[in-house]
Amino acid sequence: MASFNPVGGLRNTFIYGFRFDVPTALVIVVSVIVGFLMVLVFRYTSDQKAIRIAKDQLKAHLLAVRLFQDQLPVVLNSYGRIVQGTGRYLRLALRPLLFAIVPLTILIVQLDHYLGWTGLPKGETFLVKARVSHAEVLNTTNLQLPAELNTTAAPVHIPQDSEIVWRVVASAPGKYAINVGSADKTFSKSVTISKGLERISLARLQGQFWERMLVSTESALPAESPIRSIEVGYPARSIFFLGFEWNWIWLFFVLSLAAGFLFKSMLGIEI
Amino acid sequence: MKFLRERATKRLVIGLAVLGLLLFCPTPSQAYVGPGAGFAVLSSFWTLFVAFLYSAYAFLTWPFRQLLRSIRRRKAYGKARIKRAVILGFDGMDPELTAKFIAEGKLPNLAKLQEQGSFRKLRTTFPAISPVAWSTFMTGVNPGKHNIYDFLARDLKSYLPFLSSAEIRGPKRSWKLGKFTIPLGKPVIKGMRRGTPFWHWLGKSGIFCSVIRVPVTFPPEKFPGVLLSGMCVPDLKGSQGTFCLCTTRQGGEKFREGGVRVPITQNGTALHSYVPGPDDPLSGSSGGQLRVNFEVHPDSGKKLARITVDSEKFTLKVGEYSPWVPVKFKAALGFSARGICRFYLKEVFPEVEIYVTPVNIDPGRPDLPISHPVTYSIYLAKLFGPYATLGLAEDTWALNEHVLDDDAFLAQCYANHNDRERMLFDALEKTRQGLCACVFDTTDRVQHMFWRYLEEDHPAARGVPRDQRPNVIEDLYSRMDSLIGRVMSQLDKETLLMVVSDHGFKSFARCVNLNAWLHQNGFLALKEGRTESGDWFENVDWSRTRAYTMGLNGLYLNLKGREREGIVQPDEAETLKEELRTKLSGLIDPASGRVGITGVFDCAAIYAGPYVDNAPDLIIGYGEGFRASWDSVMGKVTCQIFEDNLKAWSGDHCVDPRLVPGVLFSNRKIVEEKPGIVDIAPTILKLFGLPLPGHFDGKPLTVAVEGAR
Repeated sequence: MASFNPVGGLRNTFIYGFRFDVPTALVIVVSVIVGFLMVLVFRYTSDQKAIRIAKDQLKAHLLAVRLFQDQLPVVLNSYGRIVQGTGRYLRLALRPLLFAIVPLTILIVQLDHYLGWTGLPKGETFLVKARVSHAEVLNTTNLQLPAELNTTAAPVHIPQDSEIVWRVVASAPGKYAINVGSADKTFSKSVTISKGLERISLARLQGQFWERMLVSTESALPAESPIRSIEVGYPARSIFFLGFEWNWIWLFFVLSLAAGFLFKSMLGIEI
Repeated sequence: MKFLRERATKRLVIGLAVLGLLLFCPTPSQAYVGPGAGFAVLSSFWTLFVAFLYSAYAFLTWPFRQLLRSIRRRKAYGKARIKRAVILGFDGMDPELTAKFIAEGKLPNLAKLQEQGSFRKLRTTFPAISPVAWSTFMTGVNPGKHNIYDFLARDLKSYLPFLSSAEIRGPKRSWKLGKFTIPLGKPVIKGMRRGTPFWHWLGKSGIFCSVIRVPVTFPPEKFPGVLLSGMCVPDLKGSQGTFCLCTTRQGGEKFREGGVRVPITQNGTALHSYVPGPDDPLSGSSGGQLRVNFEVHPDSGKKLARITVDSEKFTLKVGEYSPWVPVKFKAALGFSARGICRFYLKEVFPEVEIYVTPVNIDPGRPDLPISHPVTYSIYLAKLFGPYATLGLAEDTWALNEHVLDDDAFLAQCYANHNDRERMLFDALEKTRQGLCACVFDTTDRVQHMFWRYLEEDHPAARGVPRDQRPNVIEDLYSRMDSLIGRVMSQLDKETLLMVVSDHGFKSFARCVNLNAWLHQNGFLALKEGRTESGDWFENVDWSRTRAYTMGLNGLYLNLKGREREGIVQPDEAETLKEELRTKLSGLIDPASGRVGITGVFDCAAIYAGPYVDNAPDLIIGYGEGFRASWDSVMGKVTCQIFEDNLKAWSGDHCVDPRLVPGVLFSNRKIVEEKPGIVDIAPTILKLFGLPLPGHFDGKPLTVAVEGAR
């Protein structure tokens, strides 16, 4: 979510407000396109006439509350109709939502791999965490790194969580594969050392289909593996826009809504 | 059933799947599925939030308002004998026809009303014209106190007419910028009707009023209640209704009044035309006109046409109306005017003809105030969709000019009527206590246009065999009776119901050109060598003219010191009036041998009040079957005094007011045998226990109020 600091935000707006980097530009472009497409989806998959009538009726009942405010039965009646009308409106909005929900969910998840996290910086330490099936396995679990990556401390065992954590540092940018070994088997995990826009996989997981879909771009760990997950501690990405730092999803929310409102007015579409 | 169950199951599965997808998303931010969901959630939340605020405000302030009301009520309802009054106005409902249809068993609800309460003839005003009579209805005074004597009044300097009820002028100031004249401010709308409508007295006493489409309520006046203006609301052009006939036919005569002909031109595969709109507000005195273009794709094989107006696209079959179509007339610099109109496809082969109704003020986005509060017209538009706002919404001119046929005209009338019914029932629901008054114009318009079929030998229906004459008027009365029945079913014992009409109806078979009579009898002179004048007294020699007429019933002396070119000395006025009365009373139509004028009334004797000076000098009471000719109304002198009326407008009420009383039905017994429309306002005030203002001319009727508290 956007961290809110009005004074700093205002200052930053003036100083940096219109400085766009690639991720910011990407969020803006995607938001505008999605806003436009969603308005079109609404146009062609919803009952526009019914939506217009539902909205008009809602407005009428709102006006009735105001026009006949001295008559409590009328006010109560109108309020009941407003609640009813809101339900009708939401029901009408559900159909376009059904059409959009799958592609948009996929799009957002994929974008989150690029925009939700930044690659790891060269020369700064980061954590690699492996969770195993039971605490006894921790003693036989080890980390194998390529030449450009080194551990900076001995691993930390957390038996109560069946976890082992390594502190690692990279000496050169690039995409690497690290291996976590246990009981004669090794399991790899990608690590991205980069300042640019990269497709980031936060973790490699065993099973957990829904979570894997959201945080991982790698194949699942084998079912019989003693390693349950391997995670790399990537820093979350902040998008700098109009003087504020935003999580991309909130910026996308605001911009796509704004774009949607703009296009709906321009195209005369009822939403 | 099985099919329905399968569909329901399918829907349930889909619903659960969506819900599942949303729930499985691990964080709220990722549950966001784009602006569609955002819009739906935001809009719903906003609506509920605003509704909550409104309702909270209503609840929190309700005790205080109730306290205030109870203090006020002690004054108003303390002596009230009824909880609610419902007044249904049926413009022009005729007592003789009503009595006839009741006797024939065709109006069961009115018969029930008569049996339960009363049915009386209702004395109308002098003259028996709607704006005059309804003004008296609402103010309880004679025209000398409310200043409305006709639809039209005359300018004493130019002898030209102007609308008597309201004056609309452009903004007082403007700014010249190159070729543009930018108006600074809003148009100035001035109501000309004087006197205070009785709902103002009720409202001030804390009695809520819903008033719908009562004539001469434009511009709407502020009062504690809601009001939608009726007759005299202009169209977007500022006229009382200008239709448009878009046609590929070449030539064609210019319409005398009420309409314009617009060419449809071929451009590529499509046909193009336009709806003429208001004057360009930026053109100043140069008089440019705004327009909205539209495109037509006729399909003569299927007898239909696809029409595109801005972003609106619709298909019409021949003989079909479109719904109300929003039109936006765009001027330069972002100025625009919004209206609504309906399209009617007349013909697609061999020519293409489309009739377009006058462009009504859009009730959802009114450019001029047509209701009080302004949001009331918007509320109705949101609740029921767009509706006719023009004062004279039923296009009688188009039927007169044969642009519409009988069926198309009736379809238009009843579409408007159905809208009005919806408004009435909403007002009844919202006004559980207080006054609910609604006027229906359909009765007036339909009788005007279809009286010809009632008579054996009406000039406008000659040649139409008896068995081909539609029962339009009988059907009209049946429909009104059905409406009354539905209203009665919603009333409780403490509600007074009155059904009121402002005047009755008679045939209009023969036209009387009074200006021609004045000319032939030496009261009006034309310039040398002229035998006829143009409209509005063109070529009249005012230096030799002693009397003239314009409008429907008024006759004016050309009085020195009053009219710009007046020649009649004030001390000669009484003698001249007497002479005119003597000569005109009993005027015989030589062709039929019938009396064309049954009475001439001296306004000095029949009116009293501060605005008597604006009244005509004499009111002409035409005999049954006669009325002022179309030319005479428009200030034209012709050679013929009497002639047949061949127009569809074949019934009228602008005759001797004694011949055309209105109706008064009530669900309570009324003692008086000869009530007048002027008595309605004092009667209602008295029933609500309010003191009667001293200036009232009407007297409260004695109404039995059994069951009232």
